Order: sequence, then structure tokens, then C-alpha cells
Amino acid sequence: MGLLQELIFGLVTGSYIAIAAIGFTLIYGIVNMINFAYGEYLTLGAFIGFLAANALPGPLPVAVVAAMIGGGIVSIVLARGFFTPINHTGPVPMLLTSIGLGIALRNAIRLVGGRSARYFETETATFRFDAIPDVPVGPVDLLGGFFVTSEHLIVIGSAVAVFVSIHALLTRTDVGIAMRAMGDDESLARVRGIDTQLIRDSVWVLAGVLAGLAGVLMAVQTNVSADTGFSHILQILSAAILGGAGSPYGAILGAYVIGLVLAVSTAFLPSSMTGLSSAMAFVILIAVLLVKPSGIAGTEVREA
Amino acid sequence: MPSDITGRVNRRTLLTVAGAGGIAGLSGCVGFGGDEESGDGGDGSGNDDGDGSGSDDGNGGSDGGGPDTIVFGQPGALTGSFDFLQPGVSQAADAAVRHINEAGGPLDAELELVRRDTGVDPQEARTVTTQLIENDDAAAIVGLFSSEINPLWDFLQDLQTPVVTPWPGSTFLDTRGGDKGTPDDVSDDEWVWRTVVGDTVHTGGSAVYALEEGFETLGIINGNTEGERSYVDGFLSVYEENGGTVAERVEVELGSSSYQSALSRLFDADFDAFLVSMPQESAITALSDWSDGGYGRQPILSDTLAQQAVIDQVGSDLHGAWAASPGRSGPSYDTFEEIYAEEGDAEINGWTPPSWDAVQVTALAIERAGEATPEAIQRNLGPVSRGEGTTVGTFAEGKEALANGEEITYEGAATPVDFTEHGNVFGSVTISTAEEGGFVETTEVPAEDVREYVAEGEY
Repeated sequence: MGLLQELIFGLVTGSYIAIAAIGFTLIYGIVNMINFAYGEYLTLGAFIGFLAANALPGPLPVAVVAAMIGGGIVSIVLARGFFTPINHTGPVPMLLTSIGLGIALRNAIRLVGGRSARYFETETATFRFDAIPDVPVGPVDLLGGFFVTSEHLIVIGSAVAVFVSIHALLTRTDVGIAMRAMGDDESLARVRGIDTQLIRDSVWVLAGVLAGLAGVLMAVQTNVSADTGFSHILQILSAAILGGAGSPYGAILGAYVIGLVLAVSTAFLPSSMTGLSSAMAFVILIAVLLVKPSGIAGTEVREA
Repeated sequence: MPSDITGRVNRRTLLTVAGAGGIAGLSGCVGFGGDEESGDGGDGSGNDDGDGSGSDDGNGGSDGGGPDTIVFGQPGALTGSFDFLQPGVSQAADAAVRHINEAGGPLDAELELVRRDTGVDPQEARTVTTQLIENDDAAAIVGLFSSEINPLWDFLQDLQTPVVTPWPGSTFLDTRGGDKGTPDDVSDDEWVWRTVVGDTVHTGGSAVYALEEGFETLGIINGNTEGERSYVDGFLSVYEENGGTVAERVEVELGSSSYQSALSRLFDADFDAFLVSMPQESAITALSDWSDGGYGRQPILSDTLAQQAVIDQVGSDLHGAWAASPGRSGPSYDTFEEIYAEEGDAEINGWTPPSWDAVQVTALAIERAGEATPEAIQRNLGPVSRGEGTTVGTFAEGKEALANGEEITYEGAATPVDFTEHGNVFGSVTISTAEEGGFVETTEVPAEDVREYVAEGEY
């Protein structure tokens, strides 16, 4: 198959990562903490979606909405319980707290939910486009026939919907504008009358909603288990840093760079190195940070 | 004021030290290995004094004065990647213990099985094995996986307690373990025995079957862990030696959200069938991607993938896929199955009969030795399994024959349990094919057919 097909696979992988990375980077940019427990937020979203799919009547989108609402509630409850009380201590204690919370949540989920994987019952349709001509350049075919599945389209469509919504939120609503103001300078935002705690809470809810959506999408493609989110946290973190920590637009860009590198490196690395595709994504991350320490779209290096 | 502060610090220090000491003290008493199922530590097994009879050469039998309780330790996968296989293995071991006790027990003692969870984690396995031997006085260990044994190899040799395990397939053990054909001389022994056929045998059986079916060119997708590589390497050693060729091999990371890029690369090559060697959850994702992409061709699955859940999730495209597993039908399979069914309703898998065999053959070794020390068991595992004596299918038969002064040869439920010099067994290989209702056993590759592909002394 050609490069076009690999780009589609990369777009799909990037879309999963991007939705989660936006939530992750919003927390970093506005609450000023790296939330290592974010993978478990995805897992909880996946479990809520799975329970909703089995308990509620209606199609899968109903379960997705339930997971998003549930994710938002879980996120704000956890934030109020564990992060808000130590907000003043700075990023390092909050980072360590999030690591501990992540481990505790993961094991609690394993204890309650069991080790076995669960699966969403879905039907997948495949759409083939075999009439596309080959455009070989050396050993690489730039076009060629390709296929997409209904799952691919849903994931990419969901990601686009999230991007548009986030853009509208950040540029057209008072809450979004206040978020950006807080991201730039919290003290100045407070002086201007912005209720910074309310904005923080809004960010936690928004990040939880996005985690719920990303968790269900990942679980539909793979499975629902205690490790559903944790197994992707490094990719999410990398996307956020690669794009410029704190920048939602950078996180989207970073996620697609990682998705495309994963797909293309699996396709074109020598046979003995195909298991190292993730490592290639991190090589790209290191290279970008060496050239531009603030990430692709970042404008500053925050104190940590 | 300063003295108050000093006093407070001292009190805190005292409390901290006392608390830490208390926790440390408790940790020595309380097992954190989880899911200990039974056992109060026993009171006689593993002691050096037993009854002393016939420890070197002999058929001492049970002539009184032995321990009241003998403990076997079973490290298990109650959690972890292979926890779905544990219920059958546990039930088989429990059924074997019940049968042995009903027959009077080894040396007329009560046999106890203490099971602790390792989560298939080498560090946890090290802790659990130590606890079983040191705290529970286990005379023998009847568990441990390849991924636990291989990194803990030197540690297990230092323990000098026989590990008779139904789990490991690793080629690492092909030339490690057993009594080296000299049961009386333990100086050259390695303390691991396995009652399940190694990957070399059943991957060889799978390769033989693939070639017989006319699949002469192969594509391979495997996980990047040692176990998955080992499986593929075992397969290829027989497949390529006998004329098969590999068109493309793609190694993937486990736990990915998609394997489409890897599949796309794999299926660009021209081959007849493709081998999948991945753990179940990752394999379901990969095979679902394969089904969605409409790649077609004949799937060959690694043994752990012959599960109903794989068919349920991948769907009808998987029908016709086959997997080769260690054969389940040794000479005493029917006897095992009858006693096993009385114990519970756990599904029998490829590691269930070997679990029964591990307990049976170890108990027979104690009965022959006349004592329950680890060294005595190690000396007698070979003689009760590969000798020329009376053929026995259960502990009850063996105990009776030994009491009559006869030598015995145990014929197991999974295999004939003729331990090689490296503590390995040969057996048939079962081919199971995916169909509507699950994996159905379609054919069997006899042990003799596979044995001819394994060099003498290399297994």
C-alpha cells in the first residue's frame, strides 16, 4: 500500500492522541501542573462509557455522551479532592500527587473492575478506494488504493468536532477568553476581576469531558481495561510537549506529528526495527525540543 | 521553648522508629503475595530428618515416622496477562491433591497446596517463591512461568528446591533443568522440570502441520517481548529447516491502539499464511484491524490465542484460523478428566492436565524417596517417570506398587511424562480450528512426528 494509506492510519492515531492531549495541555497551561493521572481519566471515561452502553438504551453515541459527562464529573471531583487543596504549593508537589493518584486509581480500577478486558459491541464498515492510481517515487508509492473504516471516520470526525468546539470556546466565549488570560498571566487575570478558581474548575471539567471522549474512542478500537488510558499517557504527554506545553493548537499539531511518525516508521523502517516505531516518535520529540525548546507552537518555557 | 521543640522532635523520632519497626516486623509475618489459599506452614516438609529411609536409591515406601503434613507451593497467575488460564490449572492441582490425600497421601502424610499470586511478574515471583519455601515450608514448587523462571534462573538454582511446573514453553529451558540423566548425583542437576511440552515441540508441531497443509511461504506479526519472539523462533527453526520460507516479519509494540500500519506492511508481501504471536488483548486489536482491512489469507495463531474471546471479538473472518497447543491427551487423560470434573467446572486448557501431572509426579517422587526433602524429591523425579517399572496412571496406583516393592513409571494426563535429561517432556500437539462455536480440535500431530525434528540431547 502507498503513502496515502499510511497517512490515513497516522491521522487516525493522531486523532485519538489529539483529543486527549488538548485536555492534558489545558490543565498544564491554566492549572500549571503536569497531570500524570490523566491516563486514568481516560480509563474511567472508557469504563463509564462501557457501563452506559450496557445499561442505557440507544446507540453508542448515548454512551459516548454519558462518558463525557461522567468524565467531567470525575475530573472536577478528583481535582477538588486532591489538587485544589494544594494549588498553592506549586507544580512539583502537584505533579507528585498526580503520579500517586494515578497509581491509586489504576489499582482501584483493577480491584473493582477486574483484570479482564471488556469489549464494546460495534459493527465496522470498510470503504475501499482501489481505483486510485499508483504514483511511485523510488521505492515509495505516493498514492495507490486505500481504505477507510467507519471507525476511522468517526475518530477523525470526532477530533475535528473537538477542534472546532475548542477553538470556538477559546475565542468566542467569556470563559474561553478568561482561560487564555489565565494561561498568560494568572495574577493579571485576577486583578482584572476573573474568578480564577471558577476558571480552574471549568478547565478540570473540560479536560474530563475530553478524557471521557478519548477513552471511549480508544476503548472501541481496543478494549476497556485498567490500562486503557495508562498505555497511551506517554504519547499524550509527548504530543503536548512537542506542540508546546500549554497550547491546545500545539497539542493538536504534536499529536498528528506523533501519529504520522508512528505510522510511517512502521511502514518504512527496516524489518528488524519495526517494533521501535514509538521510539522514533520520541526521537522526533527530542530533536524538536533541541531545536525549539518551547515546542512547535509554544512561545515560552514555563517554570516548573 | 527550644527544649519543647527538641522534645517534640524526639517523640516524633521515637514514634517514627517504633512505627517503622512495627511495620517491618509485621511485614515479616504477613504475606503480601496475595491469595494464599491454604496452608499453615506445615510442620514437617522440607525438614532434613524425615524418616530417612531409602533416600539414595531406594524404594523406601512409607514405613511410618514421616511428617504429618507435606506442603507444595504453587506460584500462580491469579492476576496478570495469563490469569484467564489459571482457573483450570488451579482446579487440576486441587483435584490432584484431593485424589492423593484420598489415596492416603505421600508417606501417609496430608498433602497441602499453598497458592500465591505472582501476577506473572519476576520480582513478585521471587518474593512469592521465597515465601513458599521459607514461610510455608514447601518441599517443592509446582508453578512458575517462563518469564519468571528465565530471569530468576540462578536464584532458583540457589534455592535447591525442585520446581515442577506446568507452565513454561520457553526454548531457554530446552537444555536447562532436570537431573542430566544421573538421578543419584545432584551435583550436576538443575532444579527445574516441566510437565508441559516446550515451545520447541508444539511450535514444531505447528510448523509441521503448516507445511503438510501446503503453506510454504509465511508472513509473521509478533509482539516485541521475549515470549513472543521465542514462540516465533521455535516455529521457524522447524519451518525453515523443512523448506518453508518467510516472506516478511513485522514486530510490533504491545498495547497499541492500532496495528493497521504493521498489517499494511505485512500484507504487501506475498505469502500463503501468516503467523500471529501476541498476547490476547493486543492480538484481538490486530486481528480486528486485519478483519476490517479485508487482508484475507490463512491465519495461524500462537497457542494462547485459541480462546473463545478471540473469535467473539474478531468475528467470522477468523473462522478457519488454527492454533497448535500442547496435546491434552496423555495415557491417563480419562482418569484425570473424571476426577477433575468432580472438583469444579473450570474450563480445561492446554496447561490444565500438565498441572495435574506436576502434582502427581512430585508426590510419587516423595513416596519413592521415603522422605519429603527437596533433594530426595529431586533424586526421584527421574526414576518415577522414566524407569522401566510398573506403569501407573495415578498416585494411588503408584503408592500401591511402591508398597509392593516395585519400581514405577508414571504415565501422565497430558503426556507420558518421560522426563528427558533436561527435565522436559514430549507429547502430541493438538491443532484447534476456529469455528462458529469456538475452537474445535481438528487433528493431532503425534509426538513421534515432532520428535524427529528435535535433535537428541537438545531438549
